[in-house]
Amino acid sequence: MSLDQIELSRRVFLKQAATVTGGLAVAFYLPPGMTATDPKAPAPAAEFEPNAWVRILPDGTVKLVVHKHDSGTGTQTALAACVAEELDVNPMTVQVITPENPFFDTYIHPVWKVFSTGGSTSVSLEYDRLRMAGATARALLMTAAAKQWKVSPDSCTTEEGRVVHVASKRHLAYGELVSVAAHLPAPAKVTLKDPAQFKYIGKLRHKRDAAAKVCGRFKYSIDVVLPQMLVAVIQRAPVIGATVLSVDSNAALQVPGVRKVIRVPGRPDVLGGNVEGVAVLADNYWAAHQGRDQLQVQWSESALSGFDSDQLAGAQAAAIEDKQAQRVTAMAAGDVGAQWATAAKVLEADYRMPYKVQNPLEPICITAQVKDNAITYWGGVQVPSSALEAAQAVCKISQDHVTINELVSGGSFGAREAKYWLFEVAYLAQQAKVPVKLMNSREDEMRALFMHPATLHRAKGALDAQGRLSALQLQAVSPASPEQWEPGYFERPDKMDYSTTEAITAWDFAYRPANLDLVWVKHESNVPSGWYRSVSFIPNVFAVESFMDEMAHAAGQDPLAFRLAHMQDRPRHVAVLKSAAERAGWGQPLPPGTALGIATHQGYTSFIAVVAQVSKKDGVTTVDKLTCVVDCGLAVSPGGVEEQLYGGLMWGLGHALFDRLDIKQGRVVQSNFHDYRVTRMSDMPAVDILVVDGEPGKPGGVGELGSPSVAPAIANALFNLTGVRQRSTPLTLG
Amino acid sequence: MIEFTVNGERRELAETSPSMPLLWVLREHLKLTGTKFGCGMGLCGACTVHLDGVAVRSCQLPVAAVAGHAITTIEGLSPTEQHPLQLAWVAEDVPQCGYCQSGQIMSAAALLNTGAAVTDDSIRNAMSGNLCRCGTYGRINKAIKRAANAPKEA
Repeated sequence: MSLDQIELSRRVFLKQAATVTGGLAVAFYLPPGMTATDPKAPAPAAEFEPNAWVRILPDGTVKLVVHKHDSGTGTQTALAACVAEELDVNPMTVQVITPENPFFDTYIHPVWKVFSTGGSTSVSLEYDRLRMAGATARALLMTAAAKQWKVSPDSCTTEEGRVVHVASKRHLAYGELVSVAAHLPAPAKVTLKDPAQFKYIGKLRHKRDAAAKVCGRFKYSIDVVLPQMLVAVIQRAPVIGATVLSVDSNAALQVPGVRKVIRVPGRPDVLGGNVEGVAVLADNYWAAHQGRDQLQVQWSESALSGFDSDQLAGAQAAAIEDKQAQRVTAMAAGDVGAQWATAAKVLEADYRMPYKVQNPLEPICITAQVKDNAITYWGGVQVPSSALEAAQAVCKISQDHVTINELVSGGSFGAREAKYWLFEVAYLAQQAKVPVKLMNSREDEMRALFMHPATLHRAKGALDAQGRLSALQLQAVSPASPEQWEPGYFERPDKMDYSTTEAITAWDFAYRPANLDLVWVKHESNVPSGWYRSVSFIPNVFAVESFMDEMAHAAGQDPLAFRLAHMQDRPRHVAVLKSAAERAGWGQPLPPGTALGIATHQGYTSFIAVVAQVSKKDGVTTVDKLTCVVDCGLAVSPGGVEEQLYGGLMWGLGHALFDRLDIKQGRVVQSNFHDYRVTRMSDMPAVDILVVDGEPGKPGGVGELGSPSVAPAIANALFNLTGVRQRSTPLTLG
Repeated sequence: MIEFTVNGERRELAETSPSMPLLWVLREHLKLTGTKFGCGMGLCGACTVHLDGVAVRSCQLPVAAVAGHAITTIEGLSPTEQHPLQLAWVAEDVPQCGYCQSGQIMSAAALLNTGAAVTDDSIRNAMSGNLCRCGTYGRINKAIKRAANAPKEA
């Protein structure tokens, strides 16, 4: 066994010790029936590993472990910086690695209790314990140095990878302290840095790996090559639930380079499982792709063969009236029903958004090998728990025999939180007995059918004689987003689906009329839905912020003032709203043919307001500018926060103007970027982003914050420009 | 037999189907994986390379069509990986996931090759065939301007 292998096997058995140190201390446990003196027992490594995130080698190498997937959002840089700041090393120059054992207990998502990355939670939820991890390691290193120097640890300090005793002008590099530090007990108390002393947190303007990414050297899932590897593409059921009636693979097998055709059974028994398919395995992608074109597959009809997305809004409207429909109250106050008759004015409006698809630029790609009752994956695995589930369900392989060689993904936006592809590759690797690289084409991405669901929102509001919003009702018709994720969630006492009621629950919803009734109406079309950047914030904020605008106009009030008048005890929210309005010139004279629209929301413990400026010149209407002010508490990586917001605004513009996936007779109509338009550089308006310091001690999420307010801001601006209210996306610029 | 040069090196392909797109020849035969696959229809620009200095989409180009021509990929843009665009991309911290950036940089390099004035309009015209889903368009604009104003590579 090589040293690397010993190291790996040791880590496979790495387990968290149940200590009072908040999960920071780790201990090693041995395989059952093995004692520490067993010659086969994994040897302790000659390194200092005080917790699950820090490793220091005698040669001075510092490795920081980041246990979150990076799909381009900069999590590796931001999370490494949290550890590095307290450890006092440079997060841009030390090594950053992913865990060999992604199933180490400490790495579990603190809220979801699975091994996963998402929900804009990585920085906000890991910030405290990663700083603690770095600070603990630093304290131990200072204690180790103090022992050697026979001085008090309190008289020592650190600077950039070494412990310093200023009084005697002595210093020791971290690497020189490894053997002593490794045997010290966990410190009883660890002091975190005063944020005023931060060198990296709150100051980062660059991300790791940029140099490799601009030279074509950076390796993605699609670049994985292994000996004997075959490339697979799958012709999947064109309609959910359709099954293979017959396959003629003769022509496919004639294509030079094509090696095998394998039927992939569907897994309707698994929430989020793959549909049935026929895979073509070849020496390279081009051969596999051509082979798939030659496949003759007859598919059965299915229950969804008659599904037409154009008909969905009607069915969703019927669900509102359906006494049997599952209705879950997200927020309630007073009695809205009692207000309609007595109100000075009552307004009702329906808002619709279509199916949308994530389209990361790197299509889904994953390589797997099944060998000796173990499975190894290579690629961007955002949800290790799903890779484990696939190994267990498909190959009957246990957790101890699942290895993930984790890579940065070429975008995810929710696509890589789907699991169908992990099930497919596990099956193919098991059948083919060689490494299999499963690749999606763009058409496969468009038709993966784990898309953002189409929604209908019915809003009703009442104004009293003073023009105040006296009652607000919202009925949000949508499928349950985590159906594939949290089986049994509906058995919870509150029956709440927190992923579908984003922005309309007590903590996110800004407005406080006396009578309030915000309801989610569960309506399943049986078209599976998937995760999508900003999830249900998108339709919920579109409806709420469009309707608040309509109510403001009905009340004859300024939409900004109307919003502010109905917010209570939300100083940070009020501040971003006022700031964005001021920056965008709200209330100031505008050039002729120009109009502004405003929208705002809160999410991920962050606040955002967006002002859209639109204009009509020579008969052409354009979105000219998006002004965005955000309070995300502490911006750990300000450069990263700004780019996440820019990306979010770009996505919001897409929701407003382009995103729309149609399904006819159960089949997705669009196929590639020519008929599913996404935002190009030429579509981008001027963008002004300001990030304000709201709460310096606490980072909020930003990855999904940027998009939801954009579509209503644009719709509101277009109303101000044209007098015509648009209530379904994509909006028409005219 | 198809002959062409890639990054200054002469290549001969004996057994490759002439209809195979250049993208897959580069990636799977020549192991130049910096050029990426995004759509297969020339719509996203991730596969952008230079054909005699002009930006082309390699996913749409049968390899037979490049016989006798010179191809430059992201790997061949600069022998030192210090092309002004590459330096500017790092300085502006452009890449997020980075997957589209090889294609973005090759399109930007083709723009600079024309010697045309670098303005918001010329950048938009040159770059709107390259999709980025993360949202790096603003920084790409800044990086191209930075590179255009940088001293020429030694």
